[in-house]
Amino acid sequence: MSAAAVKARVATVWLDGCSGCHMSLLDIDEALAVLAGRIRLVFGPLVDAQEFPEEVDVTLVEGAVSSQDDLRLLQAIRQRTKLLIALGDCAVTGNVPSMRNGLPVKKMLESIYIQGVTTAPGVPKTGVPSLLKHASPLHESVRVDLHVPGCPPKPEAIAFVLKELLDGRKPDLTGQVKFG
Amino acid sequence: MPNMISLRIDGELVRVEEGHTIFQAAEAAGKQIPGLCQMKGLSPVGACRLCVVELAGVNRLLPSCTTPAQEGMSVTTQSARIKSYRRMIVELLLAERNHICAVCVSNNHCELQALAMKLGVTHVRYTYAYRSFPVDTSHPRFVLDHNRCIVCTRCVRVCAEMEGAHVWDVMGRGVGSRLVCELNRSWGQASSCTGCGKCVQVCPTGALAEKGCAVEEMIKRGQSISRLAETRGGVL
Amino acid sequence: MRRIDDLSSFHAAREAGLAKLMPNVPRIAVGMGTCGTGNGAEAVYHAFADQIQGRGLGYKLVRTGCFGACSEEPLVNVRLPGKPLVVLHRVQASDVTAILDDIAAGRIPAELALCKIEEWDHITSHVQYGCDYREIPLWNEIPFFQGQKKLVLRHCGLISPLDIEEYIAVGGYEALYKVLIDSDPERVIEQIKLAKLRGRGGAGYLTGLKWEMMRKAQSGQKYLICNADEGDPGAYMNRNEIESDPHSLIEGMTIGGFVTGATEGILYVRAEYPLAVHRLQQAIEQAEGCGLLGENILGRGFSFKLSMVEGAGAFVCGEETALIRSLEGKAGRPTPRPPYPAQKGLYGKPTNINNVETWYNVAPIVIRGANWFQETGSAKSPGTKVFSLVGKVQRTGLVEMPLGTPLKTFVYDVGGGVAPGRSVKSVQTGGPSGGCIPQDMFDTPVDYETLAQLGSIMGSGGMVVMDEDNCMVDVARFFVEFTHSESCGKCVPCRSGLDQSLRILNKFTRGQATEADLVTLDEISRMIRDMSLCGLGQTAPNPVLTTIRHFRNEFEDHLRAKRCRAGVCEDLALSPCENSCPLHMNIPRFLELLKEDRTEDAFLSVILDNPLPASTGRVCQHPCDNRCRRAGVDDAVNMRDVHRFIADSAFADDALYARAMARLLAVRKAATGKKVAIIGAGPTGLACAYYLSLLGHEAVIYESNAAAGGMLRYALPDYRLPKDTLDREIGIIEGAGVKFVFNTVVGRDVMLNDLAGEYDAVFLSIGTWKESWVYLPGTELTGVIPALPFLEAVAKQQPVTVGRKVTVIGGGNAAIDSARTALRLGAEVTILYRRERKDMPAIPEETEAAEAEGAKIVFLAAPHRIVGDAEGRVKAIEAVKTRLGEYDSSGRRRPVPTGEVIRFACDTVVLAVGETVDLDFVKASGLKLQESGTMLEVDRYSLETSRKNFYAGGDLITGASNVSNAMGYGKKAARNIDQRLMAEKRWSQLWPDFEYAQSAPHHPSESGRHHVREVDAAVRAKTFHEATLGLTPVEAMEETCRCLRCDVRNGD
Repeated sequence: MSAAAVKARVATVWLDGCSGCHMSLLDIDEALAVLAGRIRLVFGPLVDAQEFPEEVDVTLVEGAVSSQDDLRLLQAIRQRTKLLIALGDCAVTGNVPSMRNGLPVKKMLESIYIQGVTTAPGVPKTGVPSLLKHASPLHESVRVDLHVPGCPPKPEAIAFVLKELLDGRKPDLTGQVKFG
Repeated sequence: MPNMISLRIDGELVRVEEGHTIFQAAEAAGKQIPGLCQMKGLSPVGACRLCVVELAGVNRLLPSCTTPAQEGMSVTTQSARIKSYRRMIVELLLAERNHICAVCVSNNHCELQALAMKLGVTHVRYTYAYRSFPVDTSHPRFVLDHNRCIVCTRCVRVCAEMEGAHVWDVMGRGVGSRLVCELNRSWGQASSCTGCGKCVQVCPTGALAEKGCAVEEMIKRGQSISRLAETRGGVL
Repeated sequence: MRRIDDLSSFHAAREAGLAKLMPNVPRIAVGMGTCGTGNGAEAVYHAFADQIQGRGLGYKLVRTGCFGACSEEPLVNVRLPGKPLVVLHRVQASDVTAILDDIAAGRIPAELALCKIEEWDHITSHVQYGCDYREIPLWNEIPFFQGQKKLVLRHCGLISPLDIEEYIAVGGYEALYKVLIDSDPERVIEQIKLAKLRGRGGAGYLTGLKWEMMRKAQSGQKYLICNADEGDPGAYMNRNEIESDPHSLIEGMTIGGFVTGATEGILYVRAEYPLAVHRLQQAIEQAEGCGLLGENILGRGFSFKLSMVEGAGAFVCGEETALIRSLEGKAGRPTPRPPYPAQKGLYGKPTNINNVETWYNVAPIVIRGANWFQETGSAKSPGTKVFSLVGKVQRTGLVEMPLGTPLKTFVYDVGGGVAPGRSVKSVQTGGPSGGCIPQDMFDTPVDYETLAQLGSIMGSGGMVVMDEDNCMVDVARFFVEFTHSESCGKCVPCRSGLDQSLRILNKFTRGQATEADLVTLDEISRMIRDMSLCGLGQTAPNPVLTTIRHFRNEFEDHLRAKRCRAGVCEDLALSPCENSCPLHMNIPRFLELLKEDRTEDAFLSVILDNPLPASTGRVCQHPCDNRCRRAGVDDAVNMRDVHRFIADSAFADDALYARAMARLLAVRKAATGKKVAIIGAGPTGLACAYYLSLLGHEAVIYESNAAAGGMLRYALPDYRLPKDTLDREIGIIEGAGVKFVFNTVVGRDVMLNDLAGEYDAVFLSIGTWKESWVYLPGTELTGVIPALPFLEAVAKQQPVTVGRKVTVIGGGNAAIDSARTALRLGAEVTILYRRERKDMPAIPEETEAAEAEGAKIVFLAAPHRIVGDAEGRVKAIEAVKTRLGEYDSSGRRRPVPTGEVIRFACDTVVLAVGETVDLDFVKASGLKLQESGTMLEVDRYSLETSRKNFYAGGDLITGASNVSNAMGYGKKAARNIDQRLMAEKRWSQLWPDFEYAQSAPHHPSESGRHHVREVDAAVRAKTFHEATLGLTPVEAMEETCRCLRCDVRNGD
């Protein structure tokens, strides 16, 4: 069996979030080098693939589910992934994106794009996905296998999670992670 | 010399003065039972239910903060059932209002956040309520954000029992219960408030905070209130 | 009024009272509790007052409280001097003239009489009214009062609540006098302890122990509180007790005050009870005026102050610590116990709180003693309890029964069961903190312990009876919504836990819940129960936990099938009729399409929902009739016969039929290449094959007979369903592309395992062709024949010989069909049925038709043996007369043999006692059977058997049923098989959009229900021609106009 065949197929996804969790992933420093030998990154902001691939072993999802596009992508991810991991507070709790949830979508958009601007007021209608009523954590839409909270999660926590998973264990995060 | 009584807590023999609660007895034995409404120096109310313990021979769970320790009791502070219930309570509190730790003045210094971490809560299984709550910024030095309030009533008690002002109380009922200043006035208008800030110091979350604090900057000094109570005496 | 401070003044008051209670003129007492007043008693009272004065009659007219029979209000008691007291019911102001005329003539208006009372045990005294009126039943002879024991309600509805002398006349305040004279408080407490009187507020704590604690508490100030904050939905016993008999409460509390050493008593009454508050206030003033309350009571030196506080309406203030906070002027939020009120209660002083009803038990125990009290009720829970029996029972009201009485006595004997044609589902006891007890547990004795074991509570005594129209998920949701809004918000489990419970329950009622939600709901409910601070939170999850425990199926229906069988959850049903239809036909749609004169569209709509519309239009059991909301106006819409009309019209118009069929085929999906074998061409198999074919699959039916139709062809006689009509319908199914293989027996000609190799899925739908045999001496005689082979032989036009006199045993459709068939063959027919008419499973119209044609039905007759002659031929049948005994688990009264034997001469006996499926071939193929061994086991929702891709439906999984149920299974199976084969949900794609009016009528149309026309009984009984004629076009149109359009949704 070739070395490439045993590499785990890993994807990372960026939904409604700030990319901070991806930054934290890159911040695991030298652990990246170790990981590189054991995983193959098949999808995400860090690679070129356009279509979410089939048969992914682990997908790390950053960000809340805020739009129809987010929801569709997440459902596809769930179907094609063995382990789905909610990475960071937005994916785990809704976090900052969910702060809009107290307002009706229409009112919120108007306050930003009409009351909030002086030139060319108007809510953009084309080229943007329609927003869901609430920005919500992943597990309100699909089954999630592991939650790694934090804003962002500490690099050590991410490294720990990936290492444990690659070693075939379910990581116990008690005392290792926190909200915020 | 007060009467001393003996009881077992998690198998360990503990001797305390008669009249102590189980919570106090455990504390005396160096065991920390979690609790968010309980605070040394304030009268116990048994509201958060996090401090429940099991008692040998009793089917019901008992709140340790209001149950007096008695001679010969055998108390269990940790069990699978208690642990699972405590997690549920913390998750319910997180889902009830809008606790966005990342943007909170009390981030990293919050008792609710710390307890969630300690109990291994990595996510909330319940549906977030996303109710809108007001923020009262009318006081010159302090701010009250109802979104972060867990209605533990520590502020109500410290103000009534220690400061003697009774500025705070709770209005409404059920999920509509809300901290209220005097007879539902804005805090800045409150004539009975002495501005002592005790309420802010005892608040376990970022609901009551000093103005001017940015994220993570609000560090509470709740222990100084407990010490003050001790100095004044009369409080167990 | 004069002060009463010695024996002679006490006796004087009693004499004065007796003179009022039993005057030497007629006395008329109008029941004027809130319940009576709400039913018009005020007008009745004024009519009496006006006429008595106007006519100068000089009768005594008083207002009393309520005697308990709420469904019979307004109640009026009439007593002529020396005669029994007669309770008149449903009295209207317009009846008053006639009543007074009767009384003036020395008569009693017997037609208004509910019952009479000749003597009455007031417990504290005894009253003899007189004996007479043999035609009027005694009060405890009528079903509602039978078995009741009026201890707490001893004076209710009999004496005037506003007159202290009447109260003294029936032994009132004697207990207080006795206690004060004896001056031995410990002995009284001992008596209460011995009597094991338990708190009637719900928890059932021993009152004597509480009093003892209170007595021992050292304090200069002690409080006694009466908790009259009755807030449970559907409970009103305390209201009635206070409104009808306030003095008993005052006396009980004063005794309590003396023996516990309390100095002050407080009545905490909910403000929503203005009449109770008013009467209690008046009673307090009267008692104070007589020296029975206040300073130096009865001249014995004891002082007790009693005051009243009106509660502002928070449910949680019924919890004792919250009630105390409320009395202190604080927010009504509970505080943890310890400290208990007896140690530290109101204003920090020792306090004792008892429920209203507990106080009513005090005087009787003092007068009659603890042993007497223990004679009633169960060992652990002596005495009686008042319940408010409400909900779907026929007789509602306040019912006082000994504790430990089985639940079924309440529901069936006292309440009279539910309306005919309905069945009881459950009883909810204890209000929002109680639980739901299912019908099969009605043997449960009602006492504190047993109810707790079932997850419910006694509570204050609410008892809500529910029938099949109540959705248990919605019931749980309703009560959680109540406790959620009444939660004080202090502790997290109750405040936030109930909020999450309610969210989840709402998801269930909207059909959005998941399996995980059911687990979470159960988990969170246990947590709330175990973790909450006070009784409200600890018991609030009971309705949820008990419904999950006893009615889990209903939760699963809501989440897996998205169905609410009761039709309560609106998001899950189009309309009540659609919801009740096993085929879930869009009934309002075909009614509206026909109303818009679009017969072709209506026909297409019907056959898309149901491929056998003319057959089901004739023989369906029509459950839709039972659910139709039009029945609330006059009668249900005759939906079954309208869809028969639509089908018959289409069959009579070839061009229309052809167009509709072309449109049907246009709906058919492209061929999928999948093949499904269907075993059995009965209604189930036909329906399944039809839909599979429309979905693009190749559907092949294997049938042992030479033609399709199953029971429709071989068991239903021609006069109910003409075979040419059936043939036309099978044409629809063939037209949809279904293929048939006739004369082929699976298990003999072709093996199941072979089919499995050839087809992608197999659907088993075999009917109940095997007659159940009863053990009866004489069944071996010549002339004894089972019903189905008999009907089948007639249908196949094989030679059948029946004798001159035929006896049919059974009460189902097969029995009636056999009887009517035998009549047509020229026999004289008698049907023996062991229960009552209303218990017959047969369609009522069929039974009536059989009788009209000359069949004789003998009810309450259980066959005992068949008597033969010397040649071994049937000569007669003997039956044992039965009488109705206890209610069984089906909610019907069990027939009990009386020993009286009746004999019928006959030469043929048809056994129609039930049918089963011949399962031999199934057993051979290794499919799993249900525990009973008579039916096949399938997943309730997917209908898949223990073997993958093998599905089953109809009689095979339910036992003998009816056409529509059978077809419903076929339809459902097709949907599930398609979903499995295609791995997607395509079902909804079958239905084209029909545009039709979406508005409900402003007023119900005036026309009444049109019943289908029948051929004259004398004519039809001689032939096998169809016995019913269907609706005329005008009648059908009028029926469509009668529909109230429950399917129309306004806005979103």
